[in-house]
Amino acid sequence: MTATLTRPVALPEAPRRRRPRSRAAAWAAVAVIGFFGLAPIYWLVVTAFTPDDQAFSFPPALFPTEITFDHFTRLADNEQLFGYLVNSVVVSVVTAVLSVLVSAYMAYAFSKFRYRGRRSLMHLVLASQLFPQALLLVTLYAVFSATGLLGSYGALILSFTTFTLPLCVWMLKGIFDTVPSTLMEAAAIDGASRWRTLHTIALPLAAPGLVAAGLFAFVRAWNDFVFALTLTDPDRQTLPPGLVHTYLGEFQTAWPDLMAASFVVSLPVIAAFMFLQRYLVGGLTAGAVKG
Amino acid sequence: MNTLNRRDAFRLAGLSALGAAVAACAPDAASGGGAPKGDAAAKTFGFTSWSLNEEAQKGAVQAIVDAYAAARQVKIETASFPYNEYLNQVTLKLRGGQVGGAIQLDISWLAALAAVGRLKDLGAQAAKGGYTDVALSSGTFGGKQLGLPWTTGSIGLVANTEILKKAGVEELPATVEEFEAALRAVAELGGGITPYAAATKAAQLKDILPWMRTFGSPLLDGETITVGDDASVAAVEWYKKLYDARLIAPDVDRFDARALFAQGKAAFYDDAIITRGVVAAQSPDKSLAEKMAPLARPVLKSGDTPQALLWGHVIVVVEGEGSDAAADFAAYATSDTATVAGFFEKVKLPPTTTAGLADPKVAGDAFTTAWTEKITKTATANPFWRYAGYAQIETAIAEQVQAVLVGRASAKDALAKAAETARPLQK
Repeated sequence: MTATLTRPVALPEAPRRRRPRSRAAAWAAVAVIGFFGLAPIYWLVVTAFTPDDQAFSFPPALFPTEITFDHFTRLADNEQLFGYLVNSVVVSVVTAVLSVLVSAYMAYAFSKFRYRGRRSLMHLVLASQLFPQALLLVTLYAVFSATGLLGSYGALILSFTTFTLPLCVWMLKGIFDTVPSTLMEAAAIDGASRWRTLHTIALPLAAPGLVAAGLFAFVRAWNDFVFALTLTDPDRQTLPPGLVHTYLGEFQTAWPDLMAASFVVSLPVIAAFMFLQRYLVGGLTAGAVKG
Repeated sequence: MNTLNRRDAFRLAGLSALGAAVAACAPDAASGGGAPKGDAAAKTFGFTSWSLNEEAQKGAVQAIVDAYAAARQVKIETASFPYNEYLNQVTLKLRGGQVGGAIQLDISWLAALAAVGRLKDLGAQAAKGGYTDVALSSGTFGGKQLGLPWTTGSIGLVANTEILKKAGVEELPATVEEFEAALRAVAELGGGITPYAAATKAAQLKDILPWMRTFGSPLLDGETITVGDDASVAAVEWYKKLYDARLIAPDVDRFDARALFAQGKAAFYDDAIITRGVVAAQSPDKSLAEKMAPLARPVLKSGDTPQALLWGHVIVVVEGEGSDAAADFAAYATSDTATVAGFFEKVKLPPTTTAGLADPKVAGDAFTTAWTEKITKTATANPFWRYAGYAQIETAIAEQVQAVLVGRASAKDALAKAAETARPLQK
């Protein structure tokens, strides 16, 4: 009698179908997160269009029964706010440009050159990010006061740039790490100087990262309140302190006007994100996996 | 003809951006870093005021500045910071020598700014200004007149007479017992009305201090904090009783109280004299202002002095160049009768001089007159204001009162702990 031994054959496992219950849980989680993310924006927009005497109705109405454009009209008539907007654009754009310029060179030096103390320097740059910024405010105030920079755009731009540099440097270093060194070597063999190699090969390849770093620096400068309030003269202040100054008073907060203004001033940032989204995603993830 | 290729154009753009960055970082001569310059009789000085940027008041304040500058042929350089950040900003800039001249202050901030040691004694201006005694007291610190009172009022109780009438309360309550009875009558109306929109959020629970005084606690005896004595414990236990009976509501601060009152959902709440304009602006009831009545804080027993917190603004002057002119401006803004009466007409902030209060524009305003007579007359400063860390002391007390309201501690234990926390802050 012969025995036939059958060996169990390992079949490839069919992809598990997600059970309806776990799918419902996932959707519920998305809904909850979405609610927390979008509810404040919804409330901002609704309040901006609600007449003053209904904005404080109790209990609050989820949908406005009446809509007004008065807050936007008042916003358009406010020349002072336009001045704050101009200051914000100047400070944020210059901060972004300066941050990208400086951090690109620093990151390239960290990524492509080998020298004593390189790793320590890199960690020192990152460690500077750990200081609470409020602690630095008084010191920066004293430094800018002594140098005569206090009150100028420069005080703000320099302080914002110092805050954005560590992260920008680390972000861009990761990106330069992914640029193959063989490309640089080939350029050198062809007679290109290091300067030219950096500008014609490395920087164009790192463009998505440069955009991401620039956007990060821009948003950091655009949103800051405390430094913009403290280090500049009233006529150089940016939008966050400007909005607070205009709408938050000793006795009263003009919430509908503030919401309308916040809605309008957030549009440039939203537009910038939408326009640069493809670069941003590439820039943030580039260098995440070394290949 | 030279043309730029794309690479050169990029280089040029990069250099331009760098140039712009460097230019932006350059010091600005006009911004004037460093200490103010000029001699003691300088005709240029600064005026720092949060009101210069607030919609409701900026026009009226700017008018005073412009009128004085034109009349005396001087130049006044104005600056402004948001109210909630004002003290920090002014203190920082005063320490750094970046602010001079006249400065508007809330009376509760006087000690904090006096601690910097650069404020001018304005006794000479005060002596000839015709200010009321209570107003002058709001600008006094360490035996010196460091501030000239610009507006003097108080934080007291406001009632919605229409709600009270519906509840059958014909007379405004004068004692704590009557007050509690009125609250219970309002509660029976239902309809989501909070009888007393008292502060119950920790951030605003300093409003309990006048009630502690009502029950007999001085809060501070010499340098000894008396919070935790029998009277203050009784006050907090009474407050807790109102809370448990839903006569006051959880999580209410001044902003919430105004909103409730404006919507006709509260019968009583605490606020400054400015309440009439603020509440009316956010109320759908256009006749609400006529239904509002100020009342003296109910007393424990008839004959007691009603308690209220003094409130107001002063103008201080920084020692140094331009301080003489700035002191003259401060006196003008606060005591020139036509100026203060005109200011009242625009912003409804009561003047601080006898002549100003007697001006028909002021005296003819029934609400202001009633408030001054019923509330401001017996109002007193918060005794903790004499310490630069008064806000932390108030917070220490407020947090413990909050613990009592939510049932985490007994009033006795909580207030003892508050006093213990507050003691090291008396400096």
